[in-house]
Amino acid sequence: MNPDSIVRVKNLTKFFTRGSEKIEVLEHLTLEVNRGEFLALMGPSGSGKTTLLNLIAGLDSPSDGVIEVGDKTISGMSETELAAWRTRHVGFIFQFYHLLHVLTAYENVELPLLLLPLTAKERKKQVLTALDLVGLSDRLHHRPGQLSGGQQQRVGIARAVVSDPDLVVADEPTGDLDSKSAEEILELLVVLKKTLNKTIIMVTHDPRAAARAERILHLEKGKLVHDIPAASYSYEPEPLGGLHG
Amino acid sequence: MGSWEKSFLQFLDSPVRLGLAVLSAILLLFFIIRLGSIYFFLRLIFLNLTRNLVRTGLTAVASFMLVFVVTLVWTILWFLNLVTSEKSKDFKAIVSERWQIPSQMPFAYQGALSEGAPAMEGDFKVDSSRDAMTWQFYGATIDPTKRTRESILFFFCMEPLKFTKMMDGMDEFTPKQVEQINHWCEEMVKDKRKVILGKDRLQAINKRVGERLKLTSFNYKDIDLEIEIIGEFPESRYNQSGIMNRDYLNDAVDAYNRKKPLKHPLTAKSLNLVWLRLPETPIFQQVEKQISESPSFTAPAVKIETAASGVATFLDAYRDLLWGLRWILAPFILATMALIIAVAISISVRERRKEIAVMKVIGFLPRQILFLVLGEAILVGALSGTASSLGTYFLINDYFGGIKFPIAFFPVFLIPGDALWWGTAIGVGTGLAGSLFPSLGACRIRVSEVFSRIS
Repeated sequence: MNPDSIVRVKNLTKFFTRGSEKIEVLEHLTLEVNRGEFLALMGPSGSGKTTLLNLIAGLDSPSDGVIEVGDKTISGMSETELAAWRTRHVGFIFQFYHLLHVLTAYENVELPLLLLPLTAKERKKQVLTALDLVGLSDRLHHRPGQLSGGQQQRVGIARAVVSDPDLVVADEPTGDLDSKSAEEILELLVVLKKTLNKTIIMVTHDPRAAARAERILHLEKGKLVHDIPAASYSYEPEPLGGLHG
Repeated sequence: MGSWEKSFLQFLDSPVRLGLAVLSAILLLFFIIRLGSIYFFLRLIFLNLTRNLVRTGLTAVASFMLVFVVTLVWTILWFLNLVTSEKSKDFKAIVSERWQIPSQMPFAYQGALSEGAPAMEGDFKVDSSRDAMTWQFYGATIDPTKRTRESILFFFCMEPLKFTKMMDGMDEFTPKQVEQINHWCEEMVKDKRKVILGKDRLQAINKRVGERLKLTSFNYKDIDLEIEIIGEFPESRYNQSGIMNRDYLNDAVDAYNRKKPLKHPLTAKSLNLVWLRLPETPIFQQVEKQISESPSFTAPAVKIETAASGVATFLDAYRDLLWGLRWILAPFILATMALIIAVAISISVRERRKEIAVMKVIGFLPRQILFLVLGEAILVGALSGTASSLGTYFLINDYFGGIKFPIAFFPVFLIPGDALWWGTAIGVGTGLAGSLFPSLGACRIRVSEVFSRIS
């Protein structure tokens, strides 16, 4: 076992059943993610990357296998234990931001802290720090509808890191953004990794986004087919004809 | 002690309500300790309700209207329940004709009945100057050509000085008003033609204090009396009533009998009820024995029952109506309220599946989601219920002068102070019932399912 690893996945299997049909999404997957590593999960639709992300983040339970994050084995935890664990240890970034539209940017970021035993003063300090980190100190009282897509995603990132989690998971964080905003968000993730030493696991279809990570895992049909350093990953757009087979 | 303090102490005079008050105090304390987070939660609940103001507004208006109706229905039931609940001390008993409604006894009965019919040494004797009262009913019209709502008057013929001592509802008057009524009653003793009328009745017949009227009776045929209105009862259960000196009626009957060859048909039937105030249940049982065993009251026979029992007997005629109000109308309205809230909250939860999933991802526990959704329904229910009961209380009591639902001897029902918490309780209860299933659905939302659908 790598002493630097924060995520350890052993022989992970996940299947769903539809009637009598058994659909295997992940098959005997084993991997490790180091502390402070920026990892990209790639693969075609249905390859199981989002399922893997959900399992690592404690949003779902595996059919078989073990998942350890930090010093905890989360694969055996109950829903309530997982919820409490997520509050402290995992930050989430979504493709469509998923901010609460009735709350301001400040309140959206404050939301996870309400579940922690913090005073109002402590909460305020952490919220302001997180929003400052993402460059939105001047948009505290704006509602999501008053922010651009890129700004909303930055609020989403501030919400993900405000409770200072060990692990940040991002599901297609640039999938709904224009290329300029996407670049800014990726840059922000790199800053998070470098300055705060956060472990980031990002699901993406975008090779340019994956190229900003340190390591890329490529999944196909629920199996890990490539595990390569991002530096050795060369992005070549598929020819148009390829789309038509 | 002020009326509010009195109402508050009465409110606490029940284990359930006392428990609720203690629970509220604990919750309040918890609120203060975790003020910041609680404030945020409450704000979130409030903001969620502002997402669709039309829907929230319509739900609140519907709840408001339904609480209004329930408050009216419960007011009547509450009051009737109050007057039909047996007391163990200082209660009143009614003596009436045993086998006939309306009760019609010879006036000659009144002397012995007013004392409880003591026959032997050791029998209990009621102090008739203080603890007994007779009622004779005199109905008349001020327009002999017709008998309409705008022309009829109904009088309780009694000893005027017993009015404030024996009649119910004196707590509805201020001490100054009681003093004024006593003054009018003294005037009625001096001049038997003088009467007091309720304000609504005066308004209905379009007459004022000081006016003299000639009455044509419809129950005491040919006993037509001239009266002078000396006073108007302040706002109370006596809004539709009139009080007359019994001697005026009895003198008129005597005069009729002297002039006519045949006695008036009601001569031996002019006493309708005798009221006795008794200190405790064993005394009531003794007086009951005295009256029932007395040979003086055989033709017609009489019976004595507690006031509560008497009113209950009288209300028997309305049994089906009251049963329907209590067990069909009120529950149906409450169920409708719960259903309206359930529909509104269900739609709201369905619209927010993603948000709820995100909150679960962040770490919100199912029970926190449950409280959040329940909180929305309870807030709408409590606010609209409270507003409705407050509005009903002041609108009905101060503007309309009570609910005009003539039943038994009660022409009008005033909304009781207790109704101020009914609305809140109904709102919270129906909100809770209506949102239970939607909130359970919300806390069972599976995050992975929601996000797999999105992706």
